[in-house]
Amino acid sequence: MSGQEDITRRELIQISAVTTVAALTAPAARASDPTPRFFSKNEFAVVDELTELIIPADDHSPGARAAQVAAYIDARLAEAFEEEQRQEWRTGLQRINALSQEMHGRSFMDGSPEQRIELLTRISRNEPEGQNPEERFFRLLKVSTVHAYYTSKIGIHQEMEYKGNVLLKDFVGYDAT
Amino acid sequence: MSFFFSPDKPNAAEVDMKREYDAIIVGSGAAGGMAAYVLSSHGLKVLLLEAGKKLNINKELRSMEWPYEHPRRGDIPPDTHALTRNEYNFRPRPYAAGMKYAHIYSYLEGWSSADYSKNIVVDEKDNPYTGTSYAWVRARCLGGKTNVWGRLALRLSDYDFKATSRDGYGLDWPISYKDVEPYYDKVDLFLGISGHKENLPHLPDGQFQRAIRLTKSELMLRESLVKMGRVLTPYRAGVTTDGLKHNKYRSRCYGRGACERRTGGCDIHAAFDSPTGLIYPALDTGNLTIRTNSTAREVTIDPNSGKARGVSFVDTETGKIYEARAKTVVLAASTLESARLMLLSKSSAHPNGIGNSSGHVGHNFCEHLMGPGVTGIVKSLVGAPRTLDDGRPGGFYLPRFRNLRDRNPNFIRGYGFEGSSGSTMFPRSAYWAKGFGAGFKKDVRDYAGAFIEMGGFGEVLARYENYVDIDPQVKDKWGIPVLRFHYKFGDNEKKMAADMSDAAREMFEQAGIEIVNTHREIRTEGWSIHELGTARMGNDPKTSVLNQFQQSHDVKNLLVVDGSSHVSASCHNPTWTIMALAWRSCDRLADQMRKGEV
Repeated sequence: MSGQEDITRRELIQISAVTTVAALTAPAARASDPTPRFFSKNEFAVVDELTELIIPADDHSPGARAAQVAAYIDARLAEAFEEEQRQEWRTGLQRINALSQEMHGRSFMDGSPEQRIELLTRISRNEPEGQNPEERFFRLLKVSTVHAYYTSKIGIHQEMEYKGNVLLKDFVGYDAT
Repeated sequence: MSFFFSPDKPNAAEVDMKREYDAIIVGSGAAGGMAAYVLSSHGLKVLLLEAGKKLNINKELRSMEWPYEHPRRGDIPPDTHALTRNEYNFRPRPYAAGMKYAHIYSYLEGWSSADYSKNIVVDEKDNPYTGTSYAWVRARCLGGKTNVWGRLALRLSDYDFKATSRDGYGLDWPISYKDVEPYYDKVDLFLGISGHKENLPHLPDGQFQRAIRLTKSELMLRESLVKMGRVLTPYRAGVTTDGLKHNKYRSRCYGRGACERRTGGCDIHAAFDSPTGLIYPALDTGNLTIRTNSTAREVTIDPNSGKARGVSFVDTETGKIYEARAKTVVLAASTLESARLMLLSKSSAHPNGIGNSSGHVGHNFCEHLMGPGVTGIVKSLVGAPRTLDDGRPGGFYLPRFRNLRDRNPNFIRGYGFEGSSGSTMFPRSAYWAKGFGAGFKKDVRDYAGAFIEMGGFGEVLARYENYVDIDPQVKDKWGIPVLRFHYKFGDNEKKMAADMSDAAREMFEQAGIEIVNTHREIRTEGWSIHELGTARMGNDPKTSVLNQFQQSHDVKNLLVVDGSSHVSASCHNPTWTIMALAWRSCDRLADQMRKGEV
């Protein structure tokens, strides 16, 4: 597993499930928008928490929650062309809750922070080649989170401190001599 | 980017169907644009037919828009679909048949920020093809694929033109480097090229403008390669890095990096594109007329002389069919579309298609194979402070080193690598770093600038058995019969590909770069978007279609000035050679017309 080039074919399909799905005219949902367009309120809260666990706020920059990653995923799924794409998420979230019940006897959101991390640790262990539906859903969730976060304002400017997309008088770097 | 300058684009004159033009050019990409510029500059009255539309390209490209300013972060709309590698290999042809999406695009639109280029490329639903699997990327709009091209601008050498004399395979070109060299120089000076002189006999230097700079990891690899007798050179980009005083439609490069992070395109036109580089200057001569939305369907024949009389075309908006007439017809519709048009132009004088008495039209189809390469990490850059590495129109090029002085026992010809490294807007480490949480986030940050990767482009041998013909049943949206592919990579390509992967890995290892992945899979035929060879030049009319001036052996007033004329693929990207040859042939055509010889 390596850079962008090597995401598996299945992941590419999964990424496109998330990344080719919102109409140009559809305004992206905002975190301040209380009503998600595809997820139920409960599902949205789970996605919001999962994405923040994947890319948390740290002393360097805000995380996925501040970057409104869940709202972006929600907007794209709301507009998805294939029903299967939405179903994959709905089923995946149900599996997260079912696994949480199995591991800790309570739903994901009712679990403690430690229990949530324990669950994520379990479903991420074979990344990127998930061996069961929960592990494959983790990769879908992570790839979607990564895509949304690192294309967001926070991801580009605060987290990555990206310096490009500006006018340069001269190229930077080293001359070939 | 109108804040740089916004010169008025010249207006095209109305088409007059009653008149006989000096020349009709079919296609407005690199070849057609060059033909239009050269012929109109010689004072000839030229009609240019373009199958696609005229786009307001700056509105399409919006090169500096941030991902978060776009509702889908640059991706194409939900009811559209870009074909995947998997689909090319397993879906029946035509690929788009039966798919529910409103629009189907080639794989190119699955790349990053493809929403900005979706109007430049064709909808596969309207433009089907059949036969063996092939990732055929087409652009139908003024300028064609030059609106999104990769910009690597390389010269061929006698290692290519005279390859047959060296290894016995195929056919030598009917020209040598010294015939083309002055035209490479003209193209360099007129269009602008960025590069660093390396004095390599197999990759001749050009009239370079300011070179692109290298990242730390690229410099490290360059220094390591010296020990192996190999070279890493800054990307030789068909980009004006110092500006062009003679062209008011183009700005110099300002290192915005848009061309690296998107499917392509430059809205300040520092990267060459045919409209601003060639067609607008041609319009300024007052001798050029353009008709867009005009898809050529046949080269028409004067039944008495057997010569070309003009071009029959469909207005793609009204469906009406017209014929425009000219003293000469210049095909520049792309390697595959020009072959298609010749094969479609059957008459009693030319029963196998115009210019096809040899039976070679559509054959000897070749290109570059892609896929093999390597990705690695430069350990010393892990955790280093963030640098700006992508403010440039390309990364690096690693020229051919096989079968130059030595002779590889497993395959003939060669390959080169294109590569890049360092920090980019979307971190290279993001899909690679494992796990989740603060550790994952820090890994993405720490490793983002440490990645380096390169992928090979290898010469696919021109073989008669690799060809296209006309499908007897399937037609496109405008009722024109489509191409059927009979094309597969062969043994030489497979052996070359294996060596590309091994060599790439070895070079990284020698430089102390930690290998993340060695890529071995060959991508679907067509992936390089470098189709060549379907109407090759040659001295013998029995085994070639065109003479050394890209003029039909059979029909003196028919020229084919695009990549179809190339005798072999070389491993060097073809655009610069396409333009140098088109310039040379059109100079000669203008001279012949002046003397009344055509």
